[in-house]
Parts: sequence; C-alpha cells; structure tokens
Amino acid sequence: MNAFLLEYLPIVIFSGIAIVLGAAFLLAPMVLAPSNPDPEKTSAYECGFNPFEDARLKFDVRFYLVSILFIIFDLEVAFLFPWAVSLMDLPEAAQRFAFWSMMVFLGVLTVGFIYEWKKGALEWE
Amino acid sequence: MESLVTILVFAPLLGAVLAGVLGKRGDSKPAMAVATVLLFLSAGLSWGVFYQTAWHELEPFVVRIAPFISVGDFQSAWSIRVDTLSAVMLVVVTTVSALVHLYSWGYMAEDGGRSRFFSYLSLFTFAMLMLVTAADFMQLFFGWEGVGLASYLLIGFWFHKPTANAAAIKAFVVNRVGDFGFALGIMTVFWMFGSIEFAEVLPRVGEFARTEWAFAGAQWRALDIACLLLFVGAMGKSAQFFLHTWLPDAMEGPTPVSALIHAATMVTAGVYMVCLLAPMFELAPQAKQIVTIIGAVTALFAATVGLAQNDIKRVIAYSTCSQLGYMFFAAGVGAYQAAMFHLFTHAFFKALLFLGAGSVIHGMHHEQDMRRMGGLMRYLPLTFAAMTIGNIAIAGFGVPHVFGFAGFYSKDSILEAAYAAGQENPTAMFAFIVGVLVAGLTAFYSFRLAFMTFNGPAVWKHEADAGHGLKAAAHHPDDHATAAQNESHSEPDVSEHGGAHGDHDHTPHESPWTMLVPLGVLSVGAIFAGFVFHERFFGEEQAEFWRSAMRPDRVLFPESTSRLLEEAHHVPEWVLWSPTVASLIGLAAAVFIYLLRRGMGARIAANAGPLWTFFYNKWFFDELYHFVFVRGAAKLGELFWKRGDRDTIDKLGPNGLAALSYFGGRRLVRIQTGFLYHYAFVMLLGVAGLLTYALFAFGAVE
Amino acid sequence: MIPASSLAEALGLAAPELILAVSAMLILVGGAFGGRGSSGVASLSAVAALIGAAVAAAWGDQGVAFRGGFIADDMAAFAKAAIYAASAVAVVLGERWLGRAGNAQFEFPVLILIAALGMGMMASAGDLIHLYVGVELHSLALYVLAAFQRDDARSSEAGLKYFVLGALSSGLLLYGASLIYGFAGSVRFDDIARATAALEGEGTGVLFGLVFVICGLAFKVSAAPFHMWTPDVYEGAPLPMVAFFTTAPKMAALVVLARLLYEGFPEAVDQWRQVVLIVALISMAVGAFAGLAQRNLKRLLAYSSISNMGYALLAISAGTAGGIEGLLIFMVLYMVDSLGLFACLIAANRAGRSMENIGDFSGLSRVNMPLAVTVTVLALSIAGIPPMAGFWAKYFFAFQPAIEAGLWGPAAFGLLTGVVAAFYYLRLVKTIWFDPAPGEADVPPLDAKLIAYASAIWAFPVFYVVVSLIEPYAAQAGRSLGLS
Repeated sequence: MNAFLLEYLPIVIFSGIAIVLGAAFLLAPMVLAPSNPDPEKTSAYECGFNPFEDARLKFDVRFYLVSILFIIFDLEVAFLFPWAVSLMDLPEAAQRFAFWSMMVFLGVLTVGFIYEWKKGALEWE
Repeated sequence: MESLVTILVFAPLLGAVLAGVLGKRGDSKPAMAVATVLLFLSAGLSWGVFYQTAWHELEPFVVRIAPFISVGDFQSAWSIRVDTLSAVMLVVVTTVSALVHLYSWGYMAEDGGRSRFFSYLSLFTFAMLMLVTAADFMQLFFGWEGVGLASYLLIGFWFHKPTANAAAIKAFVVNRVGDFGFALGIMTVFWMFGSIEFAEVLPRVGEFARTEWAFAGAQWRALDIACLLLFVGAMGKSAQFFLHTWLPDAMEGPTPVSALIHAATMVTAGVYMVCLLAPMFELAPQAKQIVTIIGAVTALFAATVGLAQNDIKRVIAYSTCSQLGYMFFAAGVGAYQAAMFHLFTHAFFKALLFLGAGSVIHGMHHEQDMRRMGGLMRYLPLTFAAMTIGNIAIAGFGVPHVFGFAGFYSKDSILEAAYAAGQENPTAMFAFIVGVLVAGLTAFYSFRLAFMTFNGPAVWKHEADAGHGLKAAAHHPDDHATAAQNESHSEPDVSEHGGAHGDHDHTPHESPWTMLVPLGVLSVGAIFAGFVFHERFFGEEQAEFWRSAMRPDRVLFPESTSRLLEEAHHVPEWVLWSPTVASLIGLAAAVFIYLLRRGMGARIAANAGPLWTFFYNKWFFDELYHFVFVRGAAKLGELFWKRGDRDTIDKLGPNGLAALSYFGGRRLVRIQTGFLYHYAFVMLLGVAGLLTYALFAFGAVE
Repeated sequence: MIPASSLAEALGLAAPELILAVSAMLILVGGAFGGRGSSGVASLSAVAALIGAAVAAAWGDQGVAFRGGFIADDMAAFAKAAIYAASAVAVVLGERWLGRAGNAQFEFPVLILIAALGMGMMASAGDLIHLYVGVELHSLALYVLAAFQRDDARSSEAGLKYFVLGALSSGLLLYGASLIYGFAGSVRFDDIARATAALEGEGTGVLFGLVFVICGLAFKVSAAPFHMWTPDVYEGAPLPMVAFFTTAPKMAALVVLARLLYEGFPEAVDQWRQVVLIVALISMAVGAFAGLAQRNLKRLLAYSSISNMGYALLAISAGTAGGIEGLLIFMVLYMVDSLGLFACLIAANRAGRSMENIGDFSGLSRVNMPLAVTVTVLALSIAGIPPMAGFWAKYFFAFQPAIEAGLWGPAAFGLLTGVVAAFYYLRLVKTIWFDPAPGEADVPPLDAKLIAYASAIWAFPVFYVVVSLIEPYAAQAGRSLGLS
C-alpha cells in the first residue's frame, strides 16, 4: 500500500458504508414491513405524474419553479459548509477577504430571493 | 496674333455649346444667331490669317495651348499650327461653314430641331479646325474623330427616318475601317520616330528612307508601310474607292450638311493629310503609286456612276467622290500644290452646287428626284444662275492662257502635273488619261443634271394634283431597305412637314435671301478663285507661298515637287487643250441627249442595258459588300454570340457558376432540418473532423 | 502589465464589471418592487449603466488583477467599449420593440446588463476560469433573451435550441479547458504559454485541448460547422434580441479567442492557425452559399453573420498585432452595419407585421424612400462594395493582415465567397428598387428609424472620419497581446 493510494482510503470506507447502509435499507423492509401491494404502490414514484405515459403533456410549471429555487438555495448551503469549516484556519488578511466574499455571494442570492418573492414565485396560487 | 487664332478656333466650340444650351428654351432664334455670328467672326479672322500668310509673309508659328497626353516618350499637346497649308484650310472651312450657317436659316426654317442642328454644325466646324491646325498626330486624330462624330450626328439628324439612321451608322462603320488604318499608321510613325509631333517627324524622314522591315517573307520599306496605313485612313474619310460607299448614303443628312461636310471640308481631310505629310510620301514611292491608282480609279468609277443617278444630291455626291479622286492622284504623282489647289477651288463650286441643289429641293417642296423636275429655269432664276456657274466651274470650262472658271485652273494643273510625271512613271500617265476621260464625263453628268432640272417639260405639274402621295408611292415599299438600296429620298420627312406645306400651293418658288446670299458669294468664288490664286498655289510664286511651320527651313513641299511643277509648266500645248476638248464633248453629248432628243435619256434608262445597269447600281459595290462583309460579319457574329458566348462562356461561366452556387446553397440548407439532434450531430462531426485533422497535422500519428 | 497591489486597486480595475453587476441587481430589485410599469425607467438606468461602464473601461486604469485572471488592457478596453455601446443600442431597440409588442418587462434590460457583464469578463479573461464564467454568464442571459416572447412558439423554440446546443458547446469548452489544465498545469494563459514552450513538440495533448476550446468558442461566434443553431435561433428570436446576438457576443467571443490563442499559445501559431483557418474557410463558404437559398431576411442575415465571422477568424489567423487591429476594427464596422440592418427590419412593417421576407421589401423605394436608401447603403456596405465602410472592413482590415502573414489563398477564397454573398445583398437592393410595391408600409417607429439612419450615415461617409480616430487605439490594442 503506498501513500498515494492511502489517500483514497476514506473514499473506500465511505463507499463501503454507503453500500452497507443502502443494502440494509432495502433488505429490512422486505423482512419487517407488512406487504399489501396494489397497483399504485408498486409503480415507481414520480412526484405528481403517471410514470408511464406520453412525456409531452402540459403540467404545472410551478413544480419546476419550486425545485429550481430549492436547488439554488441547496447549493448555497453546500457552498457555506466548506467555507464555514475553513474560514477560521485562514490567515488574518485572507479571513476578512473570505468573509466579505461570502457576504457578497449571499447578498447576490438575497437579491434573487427578493426578486422571486416579489414576483410571486413562492406562492402556489 | 496668337490670341486671335485661338479665338478663331474656339469660337465655333463656344457657338456649339451656347446653341445647345440656349436651344433648350423654346425659341431657337437666339441659339441660331449666336452660332452664326460666332462662325462669321471665325471666318473673318481666317481670311485675316490667310491674307497675312499669303501676302504679308507672316512667319508660320505654333501656339501651344495645353498638354494633351504625356506618357513617357509619347508627348502630345493641344496646339494651333498656323502656316500656309492650315491657313488655306481655315479659309475654306470657316467660309463654307459660315455660309452654310446662314443658308440654314432659310433651309431649316420649318424644322423643329434647328438649334440642335446649328449646335452640331458649329461642333463640326470646331473639330475640323482642330484637325487642320494640329501640330501632332494625336490632335489630328482627335479632329479626325471629332468630324466623324459630327458627321454621324448630322447624317442621322432626322433620326426618326430609318434610312437616315442606317446611313449614319454606315458612314460611321466604314470610317472606322479607315480610322483603324490611320491609328496603325500613327503607331508605326511613333515606333519609327519615337515622336508624333510633325515638327520632329517631318524633318527626320530622310533618316528612315532606307529602313526596311521584314514581314511575311518579304522586305518592306518602313515609310511605304507607314504611308499606306495613313492613306487607308485618308481613303475612309475621303470616300475613296473601296471605302466610298458611305458618301452617297450620307446624302440622307440635310442638304446644308452635305454641302459643308460631305463636299467642301470633311471629305477633303484625307487629301489635306496626304499633302501635310508630303515629305513622308515623297520618300515612299510605292505608297505614292497606290495613292495615284486609287485616286484615278475613284475618279473614273464615281464619274461613271454619276452618269446614271436620278437623285439630284446623289449625282453631286458622286461628283464629289470623283473630284476627290482627282486630288488624290494629283498628290500621288507628287503635285501636292495642285491637289491643295483643287481642294480649294472645289470647296467653292461644290458647296455652290450642293446649296443650289438644296435651293431646288426647297423650291420643289422636298422633291429630290430629277425625273420629277424640269423647266425650273423660270421659277428659280437665281438658283439656276448659280447652278450654272457651279456646273461650268466643275466641268472646267475655260480657254487656256486666257480665263476660266475655278475648276478649269485646278483641274488643268492636276492634269499637267500628271502628264509631266507620266514621262517617267506609267502610273501617272494612266492617271492622266483617266483624268482627261473623266473631265468629259464630268461635263456630261453636270449638265445632265442641269438640263433635267431646269430645262425641258415641267414634269411636276402633272403630279401637282396628286400631291405628295404619288411620290411616296414611288418609294420602295420596304421600310427596312437601307439608304444604299433606296434610289431617292425626300428631305425632310414629308410626314412631319406636310402640314406646314399644306398652306401654299405646289408651284416651285425661289428661296429666301438667306439662302441666295451664300449662293451669290460662292458663285463669285467659283468664278474667280482659280484665276486669282492660280499663280500662288501652283505657278511661279508657289515656293514662296507654301511655307511650313513644321520644318526649320520653312519648306512645306520637298524639292522634288517643285521640279515636277516646273516640268508641268512646260508640257505640250495639246495637253493643255485636251481636258477642255473632253469637256466640250461631254457637254455636247448632254445637250444632244437631254435637250435636243427629248426623252432619249429616259429611253436609255428604260432599256436598262448592261452598262447602264452596272453604272446605275454603282458597280454593285453595296451588293458585294453586303454579301461579303455585312452577311459574313453577321454570320460570324451570330456564331460567336450563340455558340461562343451564350452556349459556351455563359453556360460554363457566369450562368453555370451561378446555377451551381444556387444548387450548392440549396443542398447546404437541407442539413438545416430544425431537429436538435441533427444540429448536435453536425457539431460533433465538426469537432471530430478538426481533431482528426489536428492528429495528423500536429504529428501525433506517424 | 502591472499586477494590482491591493483589493481596492483590483476592484478599481474591474470597475466596469462592478458598475454593471451592481446596477443589474439594483434594477432587478427596483423592478421587482416597481412592477410592470417600471420597464422604461429600468431601461434608462441600464443604458446609463452601460455608458458608465464603457467610460470606465475606456478611461479607467489598466493592469492585472485577481492573480492574473482579470486583465484590463487596451484590447479589453476597446472591446468592452464596443460591446457596451452595442448593448446600449440593443436596450433601446428592444425596450421600444417589446413595448409595441405589449411585452415590456424590466427584466429585459437586466438580462442585457448581465450579458454585457459576462461579455466584458470574456474580454478581460486572463485564465480559463474567468473565460468560462464569462461565457456562461452571458450565454445564460442570451438563452433567456431568445425565448423572451414566451407566448410565441418560435421564440420559445429558439431559446430552447440555443440552450441545449449551448450546453453542448459549453461541455466541449470545459473538456478542452480541463485537457489544457491537465497538460499545462495551469489555467492562466501566460503560464500555459510557458508550459507549452517547455513541452517542446510534445504538446499534442495541450493542442487537443485547444481544439476543443476553439470548437466551443466557435459555437459562440456561430462559425461553421458549429453554426447550426444560428439560422433557427435568429429566425425565431425577437428582432432586437437577434440584433444583439449578431453584434456584442461575437465581439466578446472573438476577443477572448484571440487572447487565448495569442497569449496562451504564442509558440504554436502554425498549429492553431490551421484549425482557425479551416473553421474560417468553412464559415465563409457556408455563409455565402447557404445564404443564396434564403427567402427569410432574418435567416439570410444569420448566414451573412456566419460568413462575416469567417472573415473575422481570418484576421485572427494572421497571428500578428495587425491581425488583432484588423479584427477589432472589422468587428466594429460589422457591428454597426448589422445593428443598422436589424434596425431597418424593425422599422419596416406592413399592416403591423414585420417585413421578414425579401419579397416584403418589394418596391420599398416607392413606399418609403429614406428607409429604402438606408437599407441599400447598409446592404452595399455589408456586401463590401466601395465606398461603403464594409468594403474597407472586409478588404483592408480582415484580408490585409492575412495577406501580410502570407495567407494569400484563404484571402482569395474569402474574396470569392464575398462575390457569391454579394448576390443576396444585391438581390435585396434590386427588390427594393425595381420590384412593384404590394402596398403601403407602416410609419417606421422613431427609435429604429433613427438608429438605422445613423448606421447608414456611419457606413458612408462618417466612418472615414471615425476610423482614423479609433485606428490608433485598435493598433495599440493589437500590440498589447503577446505576438508582435
């Protein structure tokens, strides 16, 4: 085992845990849960649609709007985690720069947020 | 003096421009007046110049006005050359032109395009003056083409007549043949001498006397070639045999134009050029021979054709052609002085004849066919007198050593010179014999014209009731017939002017004073021009008279010509009398046929014997040319156009490429299907292609 | 180039971008509160911001900021001034046009501002990251603009096609960028140059990456064979948007391509020149020939822009400072012609419908003489007929540098395709002057009319004056890059 490969060891462990957990969640219901299938239950889950029919149909764009907005803020959080973890490790000058950079980023997102709010994108009706 | 000659030359141009501009506003009188006044000014100045040059020993000089073309050695300048030769021409051109301007006030009185007509006339005069005062070949060529243009415009002046248009185009095209030779001649001169200025070329001709060029397996004398090429130009402009066909057709133009351009001035430009280049021609013996032969043949040919024509203007046109032949063979035998002399006198009596004919046509309400005239002596007495003077002058009647009309002196001097030269030169002797013969023919056709017009029964009286309708019916019904095929033409177009003429009856009437005054002036010239100027042009004083601006020693004509003239003054007595006798015979024949035996001429024509038919159809030249050149050229043109241009060049070239481009464009657009995956596919193909190219080009794959 | 010593200085160098970004956000928030009626104010502010940014770009400090990622030099200044100016014209044209179409929205100027921001970043990009961010920023704005007429099926289709194919090209671009980074070890252009020079002929991998990047950028300038989206998008998208598409983004993409090639690969001129030339030649040919078959003027102008991009790429392929100078002036002259022609299209209406087909222009000279003259002048100019500006643009500024670099063949080919392309411009002219008019034309809107007239007057004769004024700046810009 050389040092290079050793760097990837956490990934291997992570993968292993993921596989084990996934398998556990699949297998446990088979054993534990009551099984009372009907057509609705056996079909694949698709939020709000029939899974098997013509894709070219009209549907409410609000589904997508919500999900897109969700993704944006999801990503925002995803950015925030590494930033938050590493911020205090930086040297003094870089700390200030990094802090304000994130503030600007959040500010831009906030502008977008204000916009979508005022446009009514967050209201279902 | 310099400013005066500049005014002299440019006054007609000013007149042309002003007449053109003023004529735009309804009334054409101011335009005509301006052009006429300026022309008379020019004529007055010309006589002054001529007087100074001929009697007061004014030194010849050249006025430089502006540079024209300056390319390397090829230098040309706008200039005005004044010497005896150009002074003679100035007088002839401006005098006849001024008189024609005046004459046109009366003749063109009913025409709607009068100001245009006057503008063209003045333009022609300017071009002619540029021609005669040229100091180098380039300006000579400029004037040459300028008069050609004016001639074209004036022949086709009645542009609504198809025949006039055809005649104008014919004149232009035939002249183009001559001009081609002329241009080649100028190039040859430039090649030989490295210059086109007369003052540089003419004194140096001796250096090239023995220069020879090898061409087509034979040795050619350079000067012969140059002179022949230049002579081709002269043949075209002066309507010599082979290139003569345009001149009779040019009678489609208004009669004043015929008098000015196609009798007195432009057609003599060829003679003028040959005389101008006398030093060159003197060293080109073969070229001189050919000039002699062409001149003699033209004189004979045109005279014979003139015998049988019925159109009054055509007879005079052929007579012009014939007289030009005289001038050329005079120059050909080396008697340039005699040629210029005849040019000078001929201008007077030929302009007189044409203007007289115009007066007859005017009086006869635009009838030109002599068969429908007759008995006009009573109605047009002044015109009759003038025409008779003109006919006597052209026939050359006179008593040797005593007095004669203008033509007598000039024609006799030509024949004397030809006889003198003929002692050593058989060609010149041939020219002499032809000349004497033609003198007889000239008298015959001139008086035939006079008798048919002024004597005999008044044929027109019988037709007066029928009016112009009969005459129209006499025309060939074919509208597309060329001028050459039509025998006679009315002028100006009846359809336009019939209304104006409807007001007065059809009795012939004498012309207004504006037309008679020029006739009178020219009559004086036709009577006395020969007697007065004989000694200076041709006699003892000629050596002092002819002075050149182009040579340092002021000698215009080479030594050899003076020797020839000296010999010509000592020819046997019978030579002096022979043309007079021939003329009398011709006159007698005319009297016999057209006066005594009335109707004999008509019978000869009706019989249509072979000789008469041959003459009547102008030796079938038009038919021959039509068959050989016109149809041949048309067929060749058709071949090039259809097979060459349309089917080959266009099909493979522009049209083919265009069709291919369009087709390619359509194909290219078909990949634009509108489907996203096609688009993406093309993009990826592009990436793959570029990468593949990069792989090989950048050497990643060996 | 002097690196910025402090954050403040770096931000000063990026002043045009800051102006655009801040005003875009302010207008967005303001518009959100102001509602539908605020589009006029929004546009006005956007124009002001663009002018301010142009001024800042032209007269601001020069230098390098953000670790070499952002370069403010003469070329960037020149390109930005042109881009912002074109964007401002597009805002005016679009605002009025959308107003007439009943779709005036304050988002429109914001989108233009964002696009201009992205394009400015492309012009200033000093490394692959900035390049990519600039490309994406402006592209996303353009996708939305193409689909701006949401209720029009063709507009939506145009937006979608543009988006999908744009994503594909972004993929190519990114892939190429990662290859370059992998082989050269840096994303900065000057580092890449050093690294490739050190590779000494073993740089095939880097050049492979470069080919991908070229393909990605070629899509943005709609050079063949990456042009497939152009006719469809131009035909479907609203007119003022197309006017914008044909001008500013092309300038930005060409400038960034030139910077990447000149600064990143100065040692490999002979290699990338071949690739660029191939793309240029195909563009010229496709633009000229395919245009012959077009009846729709918007599609026709799409092909026209494709062939013109071929000429611009030819100037780039010269690989000299003269090439950059030629490119910049060519693009400025082309942008004016193009904006003018689209302004004419906007101005020419019959019975409320835009004259989109060549046939609609029949007899325009009898219906609206000034407009007919304007279209004629601009068409002749873009066809490259003297004495119009387009003639000089094409032959002096695009071909001349290529010829000086020894590229006789491609220049001659460009000349030939120019002859072919001249056909469709001349056909338009012929239609205008010689065909019978089917009916009266509407009174042209003031804004489009004025812009069209101004373009025509520029095309002849004003440009003769202007060109001598801007030429020194373009020459300076050409010298600011690596190659001499």
